[in-house]
Amino acid sequence: MDFLGDGFRRALALLLSGDRDVYGIALLTFKVAVVATAVACAAGIPTGFLLATRPFWGRRAALTVVNTALAFPTVVVGLLLYGLLSRRGPLGGLGWLYTWQAIVIGDVLLAFPIAAALSAAAVQGVDPRIRRTAETLGAGPWRAAWTVAREARFALAAVITAAFGQTVAEVGAAMIVGGNIRGATRTLTTAVALYTAQGDFGLALALGVVLLLLALLVNVALQVLQGRGGSRG
Amino acid sequence: MVELRAVQHRYEGRVVLDLERFTVTPGAAVAIVGPNGSGKSTLLRLLALLERPSEGEVLVDGRAAWSGRQRGRPAPGLRRRVTLVEQRPILLRGTVRENLEYGLKLRGMRRPEVNRTVATVGERLGITPLLGRRRHELSDGEVQRVAVARALGLEPDLLLLDEPVSSADRAAAQTLYRALEEERRRRPLAICLASHQLEDAYRWADDVRALAEGRLSPVTPENLFRVELPLEGASGLKHVRVGTVLIATVTDRTGPAILAVPPTDIFVSREPLPSSARNVFTGRVTRLSRPRPGAVHVTADVGVELVAVVTEEATRDLALAPGSPVAFAFKASAVRVF
Repeated sequence: MDFLGDGFRRALALLLSGDRDVYGIALLTFKVAVVATAVACAAGIPTGFLLATRPFWGRRAALTVVNTALAFPTVVVGLLLYGLLSRRGPLGGLGWLYTWQAIVIGDVLLAFPIAAALSAAAVQGVDPRIRRTAETLGAGPWRAAWTVAREARFALAAVITAAFGQTVAEVGAAMIVGGNIRGATRTLTTAVALYTAQGDFGLALALGVVLLLLALLVNVALQVLQGRGGSRG
Repeated sequence: MVELRAVQHRYEGRVVLDLERFTVTPGAAVAIVGPNGSGKSTLLRLLALLERPSEGEVLVDGRAAWSGRQRGRPAPGLRRRVTLVEQRPILLRGTVRENLEYGLKLRGMRRPEVNRTVATVGERLGITPLLGRRRHELSDGEVQRVAVARALGLEPDLLLLDEPVSSADRAAAQTLYRALEEERRRRPLAICLASHQLEDAYRWADDVRALAEGRLSPVTPENLFRVELPLEGASGLKHVRVGTVLIATVTDRTGPAILAVPPTDIFVSREPLPSSARNVFTGRVTRLSRPRPGAVHVTADVGVELVAVVTEEATRDLALAPGSPVAFAFKASAVRVF
C-alpha cells in the first residue's frame, strides 16, 4: 500500500509544480478530444436525427449498424486505420500516421456511432407532436429539427458528454496510429499505459488524476451551459 | 381551397382513410363527425399537409401540394396557409408568449406587430393572464386555448381543429367558439373541425360530414353503425343485428360494412302503426334537441339509440318529451349500406 501513497504524493507534487511534460500531454489530449468530439458530433448528431425522423429504405439496417459500431473494439479501429494511413495504404500519401491528426481520426470513428446512436434515441424520445406542431406553425425542416433539438437538449448534452468521454479515454487506437511519441502524440491514456509499464507509478497516477480532472471539467462546463439555457420546460 | 382527390392513406398496410373527394372551400365551416378511430385525425393531418397520402393527391388552390421532386415535403409556402390544432395539443418549450410568437417570427413579422398580434389573440381567447406561464403550469383546457390562439394569430386561410373543446369546460368552449366566429366575421377564414359530438357540429358548422372507418358517409352523420352483413337473405333483404335489435336492409353486400339510417326517413309515432315499413321499433324518448330552427332531433332508445328528425309541429302533436313512449318506423330500402 505504501507505493500507492507514494504515487499520490508524487502525483500531487507533479501537478503543483506545473511539470511541463505533464501539462504538455494534458493539453494535447484536450486538443485531440475536443477536435474529435466536435467532428464526431457535427456528423453524428445530424445522422441520429435522420435515423430517428426520416423514413428511408434501409433505415432499420442503418440503426443496427450504428448500434453494433458502439461495441467496436478500439484496437481493431486502430488496426484498420493503421492499414489505411501507413505508407503503403490508400491514404499513406497524407503522411498522417503517428501524428495527432491520426489519433483524431481514430477517435472520430469511435465516437461517431456513439453520437449517432444516442442522438437517434434522444430524438426518438421527443413527443412526435413537437415536430408536427413546429411544422404546422410554419417551420421548415431545419427550424423544425432545431425545435425538436431544443426539447431534447438534456439528452443531446449527454450525447456530447459521452462522445467526449470516449475520445478522452481512448487508448487502443491512439497507441497504434499515434505511436505514443513523446512531445508529439503522447496522450494521457497512452502515457499512463507507458509509465505504468515502466514502473513509474507516481507519474502514471498523476496523469490519471489529470485525466479525471479533464473529464470533470468538461462535464461541469456542459452543465453550466445547460443551466444557462434554462432548465424549465 | 384544399382538396383531396382519390386519397387513400395507410398505416403499416392498413387503410385508415379512403376518400374519393374531399373539399374545403374558402370561408367554409365544415364539421367532420365520427367515432374515435374513424380517421378524423388522419384526415386533418392530410389537410394540414403534415403527411403525404399513400395514394392520391392533395391540392391547394388547384396546385398539387406534394409534387414528385420535393421528397417528403410539401411545396414551400403552402403549409403556412393551413394550421392544425391537434386533439391533445402540445406547447413548445418556453412561455405561452413565446409559443404565440413562434410562428409569427417564422413569418418574419417585426417586433411591434408581433406584440400587437399576441395581445389581440391573447385577449380574444382569454389567455392574457397566462402569457408568462410555461406548459407545465397550465391545465389541459388552458393548453388547448393557447394552442388555438397560437394558430389563430398566424391568420391561416384554413384552420383545422381536432376536437377543440375536448378538454374545455362549457365557458371555455363558448369563449373558443365565439372567438372563431369573430375571426370569421373579420376575414375569410375556412374552418374544418373534427368532433365526435354531433350537437357541437350542428350548432356550429354549415356543412356536417360523417366519417366512418375512413370513408365519408353518403348520408347525414346520425345513426351510423358498424355491422357484419350476413351471407344469407332472400332477394337481398337482410336482417342485421345492431345493439339488441335486428334492422332489415336491402343489400347484396356481405361482410363488414357501415349501416346508416337517415334520420329524416324515420316515421315517428306514439305507438306502432300498420305500414309497409320492415323496421318498427318501440322505446322511449331520451332527448330532444333543436340544432336548427324548425327541425327537432328526437333521440330515442329503441333497443339501440336512434335519432329521427321531425318538425316542431309534429313534436307538439305527438307530445314528445324525454321519457315519453315512441315508435320509430323506416323501410328496409331506406337503410343505406356503405
